[in-house]
Amino acid sequence: MSDNAESPTETQKDDPSIQHAATEHTGASDEKKKIDVLLKAVGDAPIMKTKKWSVERGRTVQSLAQFISRFLKLEASEQLFIYVNQSFAPSPDQEVGVLFECFGSDGKLVLHYCKSQAWG
Amino acid sequence: MLICAVVLELSSIKTPQHVKRTRDLVQAKVSGGCSHKLRGQYNEIMMFMAGERNPASCYLDERTFRLCCQLFLQHSETIQDGWSWEQIKGTDEGFMKKTVLMPVKPSFLHKQHECSMQDENMVTDDVQANVEDETAGVQAVCEIHAVLRYEYHVLYSCSYQIPVLYFRASTLDGRPLSLEEVWSNVHPNYRQRLQKGPWDTLTQQEHPLLGQPFFMLHPCRTEEFMKPALDLAQAENKRMNYIVTWLSVVGPVVRLDVPLSYSTEVSAPD
Repeated sequence: MSDNAESPTETQKDDPSIQHAATEHTGASDEKKKIDVLLKAVGDAPIMKTKKWSVERGRTVQSLAQFISRFLKLEASEQLFIYVNQSFAPSPDQEVGVLFECFGSDGKLVLHYCKSQAWG
Repeated sequence: MLICAVVLELSSIKTPQHVKRTRDLVQAKVSGGCSHKLRGQYNEIMMFMAGERNPASCYLDERTFRLCCQLFLQHSETIQDGWSWEQIKGTDEGFMKKTVLMPVKPSFLHKQHECSMQDENMVTDDVQANVEDETAGVQAVCEIHAVLRYEYHVLYSCSYQIPVLYFRASTLDGRPLSLEEVWSNVHPNYRQRLQKGPWDTLTQQEHPLLGQPFFMLHPCRTEEFMKPALDLAQAENKRMNYIVTWLSVVGPVVRLDVPLSYSTEVSAPD
């Protein structure tokens, strides 16, 4: 995605590395700094109004999870879980760029997310 | 007392609607107090009532647990990830085990001023590779990082019918970590949730097979993060390895890394 892409109003202002994906591709490039991520809700997780996001390769899973949690306004007692390849939770420190290399298809990385109270 | 009430309810059950109503009633009672034993018994009763297993059941029978572990261990062997199977002598019970050396900032430990030169002999190559300042002398290594030893065990819980993660942690000179120290080493991604209810997340428990004090991640909400993954796999007609999925979720909470290759290289049991 081009660096001067407009961010929609719902994008977190302090997260410039996660932007709503533009509908036009600016041209294929092996050195693309951002990857397209498609977020899909599972279980009773709220569905995000914007599902497709442009995320910097170096962004971690944890950082993305925090972004989604804030976006969905989750409570502090709720934990967000992210799955890649349907059934594997990547480490929070894993970079999304690496996930894209391993599991991306059709130019995007599909990530499923769910929320729960999780522990106890 | 609660189980007696459940039995009385069950005796009048005839239709799936009754089963659901009873399940909801028991659920409300049990989840209020989060009594783990009762919850386990509740699960057993419900499974019995359900008759044949729901295809996307969150529960794991012991045989499948062992099969999943075997497949998991095969891949661990391939990538030298350090897992092994420990069989309890004279029984057919066992568990998976892995020991990890983990560098942390000395300020993490209460006794940071006691980090002494003798620790340098126990620092492995792997740990030294993690130290950012590779040109620093050993003294600097000692000051930048202390090393913790984490030992993880994956056990099968008969009462919950799911795997449970136990672990113990100590410094290299053998001092066990306190509960507070272990909490403070929980991955930041989970720390906020942990702070909301530390006692129902990570506690000290007696290891069911070894009888020694360990820490344990509470299992009674395992289904909440397993069910979505199980449903997803089922929807895609994919079979998954329960242990791979489960460990990938719970491991990172307590700094246990599960490499990505497990996701693609470990098959589901037949």
